[in-house]
Amino acid sequence: MASTVIGAGITVEGEITTDEDVVVSGTVRGKLTAKEAVTIEHGATVEADVTGGSLVVAGSLTGNVVANERVDLQQGARVIGNVKAARVTIADGAQFKGNVDMDV
Amino acid sequence: MAANESIIGRTTRVRGRVTGAVDLLVLGFVDGEIVVSGDVTVDAHGLVGASVQGRRLVVRGAVKGDLVGEEAVVLEDGARVVGDVRAPRVAIAAGALVRGYVETGEGNGAPARASRSEAAARPAAQARVAPPPPKPAAKPVPAVHVAGGGGSSANNSGHGRAAAAARRPPPPVVPALKKAKGQIAKKKER
Repeated sequence: MASTVIGAGITVEGEITTDEDVVVSGTVRGKLTAKEAVTIEHGATVEADVTGGSLVVAGSLTGNVVANERVDLQQGARVIGNVKAARVTIADGAQFKGNVDMDV
Repeated sequence: MAANESIIGRTTRVRGRVTGAVDLLVLGFVDGEIVVSGDVTVDAHGLVGASVQGRRLVVRGAVKGDLVGEEAVVLEDGARVVGDVRAPRVAIAAGALVRGYVETGEGNGAPARASRSEAAARPAAQARVAPPPPKPAAKPVPAVHVAGGGGSSANNSGHGRAAAAARRPPPPVVPALKKAKGQIAKKKER
């Protein structure tokens, strides 16, 4: 289980910094910085720049993303922003608008 | 439970406002206001640097800010709170450290529920309003002494004692006169 959970119905306005995994089911506005995995679940709204070890998005994300390992945009995800990671996957059915930078 | 609970993990630091309608468990650091309609638990390693508002607040860690519970505030062993505490029911266990104004009873949680946005200002306002009453009560006392015929210099010296027994003006009229005489006599000696 993730160490930090922003549950559905919770809104965080500001900056989140952590060394652990983060699961967002609610709303985050501001900035989200994690060293481990970040999961933005279906129904979640994130309006923030996100930095993490890896990122899985199934919800709505507006902001720039930087991940050390990988970014996976799953079906149903809606992402507006630039994505920078060594590996990026975009599943069929994910909406995406922005630049992808895979350190080519 | 986990599906309806939010957790601020041990190494997580939130700088900003946390609001919502579910339960919140704070294991890490929150430097900002917490306003939820569910329960809030601040764990032994948890640290909150601002006011916390919720239905039922359980604190085992540190909070620097006001605690407003709509149902209850429970400060357990290890809790360190600097700020005002108000809720219909407040429990402070042995080992909990509190520095601030504590108020229990109905109507303390209710206003917080009615006006969430004002809640941050409200505890401070109440805290400021609470201390002044003794001062206005103390001021009329010297006036009574003046009526008793004492000199103004004598009144100043007796002001501290009179303020301590603010609700006693009528009986001390005679003793006050005696005091005044004694003090005047001392002055003459000088």
